Formats: sequence, C-alpha cells, structure tokens
Amino acid sequence: MSTLLLILKEITHREYNFVLSLLAVVTAVAVYVAFFTSAQDSQRETTRLMRDIGYNLRIIPKETDMIKFWETGFSDYTMPEDYVLRFAEKTQDEIQYRHLLATLQQKVTWQGMEVLLTGIAAKEVVPKGVVESSMIPFAVEPGKVYLGYELVQKTGVKNGDMVDLFGKPFQVASCLPETGSDDDIRIYGHLKDIQSILNLDGRINEIQALECLCKEPGDPLDRLRSQLEQVLPEGKVIQLKAISDARREQRFMLERFFARLLPLVLVGCAIWIGALAFLNVRERRFEIGVLRALGYGSFRIAALFLGKAIIIGLIGAAIGFFLGTAFAMSFGPQVFKVTAKSIRPIYSLLTWSLLVAPTFTALSSFIPAVVAVTEDPAVTLREE
Amino acid sequence: MVLLENVSKTFRVGRNEVRAIHNINLHVRQGEFLVVRGPSGSGKSTLLLTIGGMMRPTTGRVTVNNQEISAMNELERAQFRAKNIGFVFQMFHLIPYLNVLENVLLASGFERNAESSERARELLKNLGLSHREFHKPAELSAGEKQRTAIARALMNRPSILLADEPTGNLDPENAEEVIRHLHEFQREGGTVIVVTHGHSADQYANQIVFLRGGEIVENPSST
Ligand SMILES: Nc1ncnc2c1ncn2[C@@H]1O[C@H](COP(=O)(O)OP(=O)(O)OP(=O)(O)O)[C@@H](O)[C@H]1O
Ligand SMILES: [Mg+2]
Repeated sequence: MSTLLLILKEITHREYNFVLSLLAVVTAVAVYVAFFTSAQDSQRETTRLMRDIGYNLRIIPKETDMIKFWETGFSDYTMPEDYVLRFAEKTQDEIQYRHLLATLQQKVTWQGMEVLLTGIAAKEVVPKGVVESSMIPFAVEPGKVYLGYELVQKTGVKNGDMVDLFGKPFQVASCLPETGSDDDIRIYGHLKDIQSILNLDGRINEIQALECLCKEPGDPLDRLRSQLEQVLPEGKVIQLKAISDARREQRFMLERFFARLLPLVLVGCAIWIGALAFLNVRERRFEIGVLRALGYGSFRIAALFLGKAIIIGLIGAAIGFFLGTAFAMSFGPQVFKVTAKSIRPIYSLLTWSLLVAPTFTALSSFIPAVVAVTEDPAVTLREE
Repeated sequence: MVLLENVSKTFRVGRNEVRAIHNINLHVRQGEFLVVRGPSGSGKSTLLLTIGGMMRPTTGRVTVNNQEISAMNELERAQFRAKNIGFVFQMFHLIPYLNVLENVLLASGFERNAESSERARELLKNLGLSHREFHKPAELSAGEKQRTAIARALMNRPSILLADEPTGNLDPENAEEVIRHLHEFQREGGTVIVVTHGHSADQYANQIVFLRGGEIVENPSST
C-alpha cells in the first residue's frame, strides 16, 4: 500500500514522464486491438464471402475464339437459349448456384456510336429452395431498354423517352449512372427483343452462373468444370473474377502490411518506454540513494520502478483497448472493406491487454530498474 | 559506538584505482560528537558512507553498535541502517513529490499509523516546522529543508547521526541552528559524526579528525 502511494505521488509529480510513457502503451495496445478487432472480423467476413459467393462462372459456346473473346468481351458464336434450362435441370444436385442468367450481346453501331447491345432474360433462373435475391439491378421488360451513362450523355435522352433501335421503337426505362466500365456504352434490352433485332431468335452467347458452389469438398472450379463437361458439352466454362476477390486481395494486402507494422510498433514502444524509464531513473538517482540511506532494500526500490511500469501498463491497456476498438469500429469497415455490423468489440482482447501490456512495460523498465538498484550510493548521493 | 579497524576503500574507475580512504582506525563511543574535516576529495563522504553501511570497505572492519556491518549483506545493512543510523546531506535530498510530513514518514517505511504520525509531528514541532507539514520541499527555505531532513533522519530514533556537510548550503544563522539540533541529539545520548568546514560544531566536539588523501592526519597544521 505504501509503495503504491509513493508511486502514485511520483506519477502525479512528474506527469510528463507518465503521460509520455502512457502514450507509448496506449499506441501499442490501440494498434494491436484495432488490428485484431478489424482483422478477425475481416477474416470472418472473407470466409463468409467465399462461402456465400463462391464462384461466378461464365459459360460460353465451346468453339469461341478466346483471343477475340477477351478482346471484345463476348463470344461470336451462339448457343440455343434452352441450354439454360438444361443446365438448371441437370446440375441442381451437383452444383449449387444462386442465379442463372441467359444473355446475348453483340457490338453494333447505333446512332454513329459503337455500342454493346445486351439482351438479358427477363427473369433469373433461380433454383428451387434458394431464397431469391436480385443480382441484376433491374428486370428488363419487353419493349423497354436501359441506356448506359455515356450513351445518355451523347444522345441526351431522358427516362420515358422513345428511342429507335434498328427500326423498332423502345421506351427508355432508365438512364444508368456512371459505372466506369463498358457498361457505360451498353444498351440493355429484353432477351427476346435483342434476339429479334439481331436476327438470332432463340440464341444466346453466354450463360452466367453466379455464386456457384460445389456440394463436395475439393477445388470447386475443377469440379464445376468436370460437372459442366457432362451437362453441357457444348459449353466452355471460364471464371468471372468477382468483386469480392479484389476486395479479399486488398484485405490480405492490408493484413500483410499490418503484420509487418505490428512488430515495429512493438519494438518502437518498448524502446520509448525503456528510454523514458531510464530518464526517470536518472532524474531520481538521489532519491534512490536517500531511500537506501533510510534503509530501503533493493527489492523495494526496484518495486517502485517496476510498480510504476505496471501501473502505466494497466492504464495504458485499458485506454488503448477502448481507443483501438473505437478506431476499428469507425474505420475498420473502410480500411478492411468489411461490413460495419461484423465489427464488434472483442472483450477477450481487454483481458489480454491487461495481462500483456504491464508485463511488456515491466520488461521495458527492467534494465533501468536494475540500474537503479545496483547504482553505487556513492555516485547517487554525490553532492554536486 | 563506531569502530573502524584498518578500513580502506578503493574505487575502480576503468583501469585506474582511486584510493578514497586508506587504513583508517577510528573509535567513536556512544554519545560522542565527532567532527570530520579535510580538503575536497580527502575521503570524508566515503568515510561517512562506509560507517553508515552504504558501501562496504575494500579491506578492514567496520563495527557499529557491536555489529560488524562490513560483514553484512546488502539487505542486512539496509535493515541495520533503518534501525540505527540517520543520514543528513548537504543537498538535503528531500523527495520533491512528498510534502514535509511525508518526507519524514518515509523513514518509517511510509507507514501512516497513528504512532508514526505522532512521532513525525512531534519532531517537526521541535524543529519549528509545524506550520510547514503540508508544504512541498520546493516551497521551503534552505534552513527549513535541512531541518526537515534532520527530522527524517531522527524519525526512527537512530543511535547514530551521520551528517555530510549539513551546513554547506546554509547561511550562518541556519547553520548554527542545524548544529544546535545535532548537539541536542547528542545530549539525549546519540552519537554524532559530522563532516563540516565551519567551526561552529567545534565547541561540542569530543573528537576532531582531519583527513588528507584518505588518511587521518594527526596534526593538520603541518603539511
Ligand atoms: N563512486 C566513486 N567512484 C570513483 N571514485 C570515487 C567515488 N566516490 C568517491 N571517489 C573518489 O574518492 C575520493 C574521495 O571522495 P569523497 O567524496 O569521499 O571526498 P570528500 O572528502 O567528501 O570531498 P568533498 O569535500 O568534495 O565532498 C575522491 O578522489 C573521489 O574522486
Ligand atoms: Mg563529500
């Protein structure tokens, strides 16, 4: 009790030393807590995304020239529309997916511009037993079109205007916002309408199977490919890189960055605390000498310094935990691209902080404390 | 009582050896007043710290109150000091973050029981510091600081008081008062060993020793 009182009185007397040491602990703990709070959630979220989204697949006609495909973004060849139904019927037991979308697209010249004309099936084919959720942002009705951003800019049409598409009138259902992709030069229409415009009745050139999953374990893409080989020998499967992949990649990069940063923060704070403890010892040399003269043993003198370090560790851990958690809650969703809902305080980290931080500060102050008790009183009490 | 037999203390600084005190033989009986004099660097502080058990002599034997402290380990010497010895320094060495009363209580292990509080207050009263109990050292005059340090040294009712130039930073009046308090302690049966350059303590001295180059010289006037 008396040692504690001495420590507290010293702390309030030399508040700068205390506040600066505290700052180091708060920084270290906050960085760790913020990272683990966000990153654990981020990992959980990543697995959730992987589980839920699975693979986005594009099925295109087998004879497609892939060089041209990647250049233009669509296949020159077509396949019968009812392949979608075949796929839906035959694959249900082996492959799960959320959405199955039949599309027909081609590049055409419209009003002097090169545009992508895309017909999509009015409805997604949603397999039985799957909760319906809309992947495509709109359902296209016959006789209506959606115009990409650039096309709207060039033509100046508005919602509800009538436009002419290769001799047929269509109503503009919506002018789409800017996407920064080739969707900006796209005209979406009902699959049937586009088929008739392009004289390709009953034909499509791509099936998109979104959020595919294999029921069996193993490499899902390989299994999907071999399954499709049997169901749709006329098709070729390619993987559509999902947005979630990019996000996951970004998260992994961030985690790698933090993984390198964390030890540096730790070492930096250890040096910081050690240096401050050392300065504190230097400043209190005569005090150590006096305590010796008054009959205080080395253990009790060391306890003054280590006790102070432990107090700094405990207070720093508590503040650091709440700061780090608050940081993770407010910035984690942006930094780690996870939903805010998934970030919750991890209270076990508080327990850990309260255990680890005082140990850490005590170790950082250990050498200065040893210096303090082993210093020759003839030096510490030297009258200058 | 204090008995030094062939006591030497040599410091090692890098490769050099500094002989701080050499072959000291000294006997101070209980209740005596000893004045130690000598030029700077002659080993006065080293002598005092050795008697107080703050450092062990390199050779020789130090016996205080019939206990050979030169043979004790660190912890034993600390405990011995707490019970038997009071220190007073030139620079006062008060703890800046404790008030006057707390500085005095520090000597009793900072235990704040009624008995030690009463003892501390009584000492402060005798030293004319009752009105300063709750002041921090920074708010005190030099004389008040040194009197606080004396109260702290007397707190545990030591039998020996070791004072290293206690008047070195005081004006003559305050110096006089400090010496008077040392004498007071002696009159009550305590042993006083004081290092001082002034002569105001001479009137109370049973013994005056003169140090030069770490050795006691019998006739200080002869070089
Ligand atoms: N811890 C130490 N390490 C090395 N040398 C020391 C140490 N303490 C004292 N000395 C040396 O021992 C000698 C005696 O020092 P001491 O402090 O005892 O002298 P002093 O008589 O008290 O001097 P002053 O009047 O200046 O206080 C000096 O030469 C000093 O430099
Ligand atoms: Mg000296």
